[in-house]
Amino acid sequence: MSENEISDVNRREFLAMVAAAQGAFILGFWVPPQANAQSGPRPVWYQDPTTAEINAWIVISPDDTVTIRIGQSELGQGVWTSNAMMVAEELQCDWNKVRPQYASANRDAREKAPEWTLKVMGNGATDPKGGGEPGFGNRDRTGVSGIPDSLYRRMRTNAASSVKDGRYYLQLAGAEARERLLLTAAQLWNVPVAEVTAKDSIITHIKSGRTTTYGKIAGRAAGMPHPNPETITIKSPDQWTLMGTERKNLDVPDKVAGRVVYGIDVRVPGMKWAAVKACPVYGGKVKSCNFDAIREMPGVRSAMQFPIPDPALTRGRIFGGGVAVVADHWHQAKTALDRISIEWDIPPEHAAFNTANMRDALLASFDRPGRVRVNQGNVDDAFARAVKVVEATYSTPYLPRARMEPGNATVLVTDDRVDVWIGDQSPQETRFSASKITGIPEQNVYVNLCHLGGGFGRNGNGPQAEQAIMIANAHRGTPIHLLWTREEDFIGTTYRAMGMARLKAGLDSEGWPIALEVRTAMQEDGFGPESSFDVASRYHVPNYRFSNHTTKFHVPVGTRRGIGQAAHEFYRESFMNELAHAAGKDAYRYRRELIARTSLPYKEDMIRALDIAAEMSGWGKPLPRGTARAIALEERGAETNRMATISAMVHTVSVSRDGKVKLERVDVAHETGFGLVNPLSVKKQIEGQIIWFYNDAMHQANTIKDGHIVENNFNAFRLSRIDEDPPEINIRFFKTGHWLLGMGHDRATSVQSAIGDAIFQITGKRFRDLPYGSQDLSWT
Amino acid sequence: MALDLNVNGTRHTIDADPLTPLLWVIRDYVGLTGTKFSCGIGQCGACTVHVDGQPVRSCSVQASMAVGKRITTIEGISTDGNHPIQVAWKEFDTPQCGYCQSGMIMSALALLQRRPNPSDADINSAVTNACRCGTYHRIRQAIHLAAELMKDGRRQ
Repeated sequence: MSENEISDVNRREFLAMVAAAQGAFILGFWVPPQANAQSGPRPVWYQDPTTAEINAWIVISPDDTVTIRIGQSELGQGVWTSNAMMVAEELQCDWNKVRPQYASANRDAREKAPEWTLKVMGNGATDPKGGGEPGFGNRDRTGVSGIPDSLYRRMRTNAASSVKDGRYYLQLAGAEARERLLLTAAQLWNVPVAEVTAKDSIITHIKSGRTTTYGKIAGRAAGMPHPNPETITIKSPDQWTLMGTERKNLDVPDKVAGRVVYGIDVRVPGMKWAAVKACPVYGGKVKSCNFDAIREMPGVRSAMQFPIPDPALTRGRIFGGGVAVVADHWHQAKTALDRISIEWDIPPEHAAFNTANMRDALLASFDRPGRVRVNQGNVDDAFARAVKVVEATYSTPYLPRARMEPGNATVLVTDDRVDVWIGDQSPQETRFSASKITGIPEQNVYVNLCHLGGGFGRNGNGPQAEQAIMIANAHRGTPIHLLWTREEDFIGTTYRAMGMARLKAGLDSEGWPIALEVRTAMQEDGFGPESSFDVASRYHVPNYRFSNHTTKFHVPVGTRRGIGQAAHEFYRESFMNELAHAAGKDAYRYRRELIARTSLPYKEDMIRALDIAAEMSGWGKPLPRGTARAIALEERGAETNRMATISAMVHTVSVSRDGKVKLERVDVAHETGFGLVNPLSVKKQIEGQIIWFYNDAMHQANTIKDGHIVENNFNAFRLSRIDEDPPEINIRFFKTGHWLLGMGHDRATSVQSAIGDAIFQITGKRFRDLPYGSQDLSWT
Repeated sequence: MALDLNVNGTRHTIDADPLTPLLWVIRDYVGLTGTKFSCGIGQCGACTVHVDGQPVRSCSVQASMAVGKRITTIEGISTDGNHPIQVAWKEFDTPQCGYCQSGMIMSALALLQRRPNPSDADINSAVTNACRCGTYHRIRQAIHLAAELMKDGRRQ
């Protein structure tokens, strides 16, 4: 049978059989419904007689297995477990029988969200009984801002928001199902529903002691509508029994056995592999290429050029056009690709960029009028009165996500349907791209989600899907698995924008700042130019001006573990250390006093974080020569009375005389807000982000030469290893009175400023350009 | 040309170019996908497997080099995912995204087989794989626990 003859049905059955034969639990693999079953009120796959779908999130089998559909993607942050916990808390099912499964992005394109999920209950960030402040943005077909009334509300995984945005409707989904199960049992027994309770999937009639299980009555409950769903309420943190407890991640047993299916592991019958080379200079495309050299190579099936992916599908970012080779095996495709000589058509103005002239352009932008974001008091008058003026200029380089799994996607295009198998932080956008490129309606696009081998930024994964869809569209009927080399991944990713900041403060006679001027510079399409500095200064200063300065560069930029925040926190906290030093004051007490002088709503929480971290670290106790402590506050959102995440960290750092830096110990004081869903995942996030920002501080930078990225593999772009892991990480949680803004990023940005300040304390040298590892840090 | 390979105790006759990296033969021809591709230049260790008990970065050796030798992948260290090192890994809930963890476990296992009671310094010099999520803190604890569990296993 040729590839073209493999029918959809055979292909899918084969996929399921492969899974069964290998004994592998195909994690989250949603096997799409048959094409001919798409009409009618319900797709065939949830009329399976052995399982009952209670609502779009919950399916209960006769053996009490509860399948919970997950609308976000698992990329290491633990959403596979935390989303399931939020549903199971309310469902009151047996946690040991919970199995997560990816929600269907196709069904999301077809169905509207249930009415009862649309309204957020309660009074915002400071109401423990409410749903917090989820943000859905406006309806947008590309899914950029979510599609607020589609079935799963939001399927993107971004902005550390899976718990923040999803908690209320996931709890509601669990509660709606529980109430229907209870109603069903009460009706069966002919007793008032108030007399039945549920725990661990067992329903009990209190008076008679009669019991049944969810599995036994799920079929009936599936057909029992909720009489008034608008009355459903969710549990507040004081009622939680599962949420708030440490739960091991449900996919870890598969992860340690090599059984998880990432995008790269997808195998579809008849599948061919594609290797690609895009123009290394963004905006460039193929001028000419010759495929003659590869025609006879083993396994090679075809070769093609592809254009620059439509910027409308890549959020305006302009990548390169390139060449693809399709072969039976990926290594054959890659070997052939390397034999093709390609002449590129590169815009000369792009080829003229290099790191040095880009840095000059950012510096020059400081002297042009910028966009003034904040202007409080009278900054110029205050500077005139200042006893001392401190000024410093900092820089941060281009940085990629460099996830461990290189970009890939498997795509099958037929005349009426597209299937995409991919690890994806924004399947709604990919669905849109597939439809636009192929002309097949979104309702016939199936984005089948896989786990990701690292994510670190929703739109950071570049045009992996768009390239694969273009190639597969040219090979209709044949599934194409595109896989980037590591070098290609460095071309295809988006970067956090290279940035600079110039900060200037005027101090009074006691060393307190009376004027602060902050200028930040990055390319005009950089993300989050306002981050961290956008409202009143976190540290009290009566006269404050903040402006953004921009210039035009060609590098495609995107989110990377947050937006501008990580770089801006480095600027701000580094400068605070410099001010404390100039004032002759202790860096912890200087910060503490300046927060105490503000009227910020969460200032007591911020002070507590500083106090706890300082106390944990033994702040002020003598250290051996060559070792120093540095402190920083970390918060997002705490300038308002909305949601926020607040922590403080003290980093104990040593520098050897020959300049070797060691992060010896990290003491973390972290708020819980009203409650953390899975404190174990939160600890892992904090530990991981300490390493992440350690790498930003010490090692990582991408430079530009003749318009292209220079460091394009892990020999030149350094990842720290276990020998650089801090031997001691202490985390202490403290309770606060608001919902958290999220844990997925900005949780250890302080590593950057702290290592810099420790280097200064030990060596007397102040470095303001990251990464420090490229500097001479030796001392005598 | 056919390559005779012994992978996890099973003999495979593979029709592939002998210059193909061992990683791609394992993933694409044998069909075991637990071993991962990441850098392709032997830097990160995501592709680590054992060849005659020695840890090898399989992206950077030719498959022909493994002919006549015992190849062990993550799928081959236990049938049920409960090798003591896997038990220890689970105890600390070690993985985040998990992509590097197969290679990480294979490197750590090679160390433990050579040095049943490794010091932190031993771990630093032997487990040189890269993890982007930053799970090193739990990996170190898991290796020490695995050492204990493997000793217990021997006593039984």
